[in-house]
Amino acid sequence: MTYFKKTLGLVAAALMLVAGPAAAAGKADTLYLFSWSQYMDPALIKAFEKRYDVDVVQNYYESMPEMFAKLQAGGAQQYDVIVPSNYYVPRLIDTGLIQALDKSKLGHLDNIAERFADPAYDSHNSYTVPYQWGDTGIAYNTDKLPDAPDSWAILFDPAINSDYPFALATDAQVVFGAACAWLGKPYDCTGRDAWKAAAREVLATKARDNFAAFNDGTPVLRQLARGNVAAGMTFNGDFTYYKSENPEAFKNIEFVVPKEGTELWVDVMAIPAKAPHPDLAHKFIDFLLEAKNGAQLSNHTYYASPNAAARPYLDDALTHPPAQPTPEQMKALHYIPSLSGDDLQFVQQLWTEVQSR
Amino acid sequence: MADAGSGKTGWRATGHLLGLVAPGVIWIVVFLVAPAAYLMSIAFMTNGSYGLPELPFTWAAFKQLAGYGFLGWSPANLYVVGRTLVQTVLATGLVVVIAYPVAYYISRAPARLRPLMLLLVVVPSWTNQVIRAIGWMNILAPGTPLSDLAAALGLISPHMGLYPSQFAVALGLVYNFLPFMVLPLYAVFERLDTAQIDAARDLGAGVWGAFRHGVLPQTLPGLLAGTVLVAIPAFGMYVIPELLGGGKNLMLGSLVARQFAAASNWPFGAAAALIMILATLAGLVVLRRLGRRLGGDAGVML
Amino acid sequence: MWYALLVLLYAPLAVVVVYSFNSVNSSADFVGVSLRWYRALFADDTILAAAWNSAVLALVSSMLATAIGTALGYGMYAHRARRLGWLIWLIYLPIIMPDIVYGIAQLSFFSRLAAATQIFDLGLGTMIIAHVSFQAPFVALLVYSRLVGLDPRLFDACSDLYANAWQRARFFILPTLQPAIVAGFFLALTLSIDDFVISYFTSGPESVTLPIFIWSAIKRGISPEINAIATLMIGTVLAAAAITLAFQYVRHRQSGE
Repeated sequence: MTYFKKTLGLVAAALMLVAGPAAAAGKADTLYLFSWSQYMDPALIKAFEKRYDVDVVQNYYESMPEMFAKLQAGGAQQYDVIVPSNYYVPRLIDTGLIQALDKSKLGHLDNIAERFADPAYDSHNSYTVPYQWGDTGIAYNTDKLPDAPDSWAILFDPAINSDYPFALATDAQVVFGAACAWLGKPYDCTGRDAWKAAAREVLATKARDNFAAFNDGTPVLRQLARGNVAAGMTFNGDFTYYKSENPEAFKNIEFVVPKEGTELWVDVMAIPAKAPHPDLAHKFIDFLLEAKNGAQLSNHTYYASPNAAARPYLDDALTHPPAQPTPEQMKALHYIPSLSGDDLQFVQQLWTEVQSR
Repeated sequence: MADAGSGKTGWRATGHLLGLVAPGVIWIVVFLVAPAAYLMSIAFMTNGSYGLPELPFTWAAFKQLAGYGFLGWSPANLYVVGRTLVQTVLATGLVVVIAYPVAYYISRAPARLRPLMLLLVVVPSWTNQVIRAIGWMNILAPGTPLSDLAAALGLISPHMGLYPSQFAVALGLVYNFLPFMVLPLYAVFERLDTAQIDAARDLGAGVWGAFRHGVLPQTLPGLLAGTVLVAIPAFGMYVIPELLGGGKNLMLGSLVARQFAAASNWPFGAAAALIMILATLAGLVVLRRLGRRLGGDAGVML
Repeated sequence: MWYALLVLLYAPLAVVVVYSFNSVNSSADFVGVSLRWYRALFADDTILAAAWNSAVLALVSSMLATAIGTALGYGMYAHRARRLGWLIWLIYLPIIMPDIVYGIAQLSFFSRLAAATQIFDLGLGTMIIAHVSFQAPFVALLVYSRLVGLDPRLFDACSDLYANAWQRARFFILPTLQPAIVAGFFLALTLSIDDFVISYFTSGPESVTLPIFIWSAIKRGISPEINAIATLMIGTVLAAAAITLAFQYVRHRQSGE
């Protein structure tokens, strides 16, 4: 009977299928990079792959909660390099999800600018190396909202936008901060009363007819370009990047830094505690610390570089707004507070509440 | 069966049985029952400070589910459950209303056309559900003809889209599950005894009466089977509400998923999942009872 | 009314196909016909890798599930005189469990196991395991229902003809069951291709499949390449439907004459 031969043939074919890509790849090693989407120059990845004869596999997230959840669910032993934001660093260290860096393997550490050498979220950069920094603001369509002020009113004030669809971000702290600032408190507000007031404001906003969706900073730019929303929260560099990529679609889209205050963030590189290739991960981090590579990264992403040595190689666009906030704007920028314990659970419960209603 | 026959029972037959079913049983027990049991145990654990389950065992997750948290009592979770139930009932009802005439129509079509017609109904469901959702996102987005029409009719405010919205979710659910109702209904319509309908009409029943006394009893098994196939997956649906709802009309599936994929509160997510399973089982039992009571064909049901 | 239904059923698919040829990135305007999104598609390694992963996952899991499920279905039939209520429950469990619960149960289980043992890292392996666990019961039921439809006396005749169980399996049971096994395989394939939720939660960094790729692309803000990928997937399904129809037609002709 040929039945069994057929079966055997199928099984053999299946085994070849599984073994196929592994045999075809043939590279020495693979680096698993887990980062924000639209945050890396493909040419830099190619250069790194070539220099060390390795493959780089990239995976993406759109928000910090998403990254944190993935790391907790097995990701901590599957990714080599992650790129979290400042306010998540303390909890990554506390939970043992990232490992201390071996500074002997990071020859270009001195390239980091003075301002970022000893940050509050990670003293003396024991666990992290700064990657890029920027701010969170509002991108909106000037055709549809011609009279929009540089204020959170674009999102929270029905009088400014009563008709057009708009979006808020999905990260609790990012949105609560915005609501706090709109309500006249500092963007980095803390305390249960402040958060409750912010949650009420977000709930009222969500109940408005023209509230479209919760959308993160990078995706919302595409929604803006397609006309699906008229305003949303996004990041200065992503906005500039998309605008330069597609000037036609972004002709009428502007970016503002709300005057009531908004988020200043530093994204950093870190190595998960059980990363499969920690050596390679150090090489990757050091690779991006090199002056020219750091500059190439910023020139691609349009975000300001924390790399002092990279400065001579930076494009002109990176020296003025929106990439580089004005000194006046800088005064209104705040780090999101890093939460833990009851405070963290309180904010999370509040956010679930906001989303469920 | 030779091996299971009356002559040779005992160890040998048991060995034969176990030899055959062992791979499947072990697979399901190790890779499904064990994970499910682990998940259930998580529901009774403490939420660690960063969202992972920790000992000791506690009822905290269920308290939170019932609405007790830092804020005192809040009805947020009830909203989610209520919204899920409404969407499930609405979608199932609409699917029934559409599927009945469709199944009837196909069963009356010429025999050689019927396989083609059934295939036409089923083929869209062979594509991945994510792809089906994209289709509706394209159609219902702001500025598309359909959205403009709805705005012109005053159904939505101008400049808004039909997606994302509760409406888009309901539409997506109906679209997704329609074939699962058409198929079982078609199976019963094919065997429909028209004499009963004629009898009802002869006795002076109107169209509705003929349907109630002639058609409905006969098609009930198919209706119940279809309801099981539609309502239960709709209740636990994740993809459609997540993609078409814009993340603002949370359904139970999304609430569960977010505790693992974004918000990080495993015990709370596990407790919600436990409730979901219990609700599913309760739904099954009710439908099954209903099927028996109404004298349906037990074979159609689980 | 029938045509209205067809419009409802196929409009979303048609729109995806049409917009995949749109020369601009918009859901509101169709400007001109262009293949630019397809060019972008075939230039993208990650999409090709995702297509490969999808194929591997579907084929390997379906084969495993067919083997396991067939044995399970046959075992249930051969010993149907016994009390197998527990087995029936076990088989129905994967069928009735909401897939979101299914996905997170396996996510939490495998990720904890992986943290402790270094095996069961989330990836193609865990995805195959998960898929087999929901495919096998469907195959078993299909095989079982096919056996129930057979005349039991056939089995007696065959046990007279062939001496041992091995011969019976090889010369009678497997050939008799072949249509059910083939149907079971294709059912398993369909289930695997249609699944998103369970794959999503059991996948790892290197096991992105097409549906997962599309999902994350939507989450990144819908891009026109998605319409192009989706169009190719719809095309595959339509081709499969056409083949099914051709088979039915041929069989119909044969039985008719």
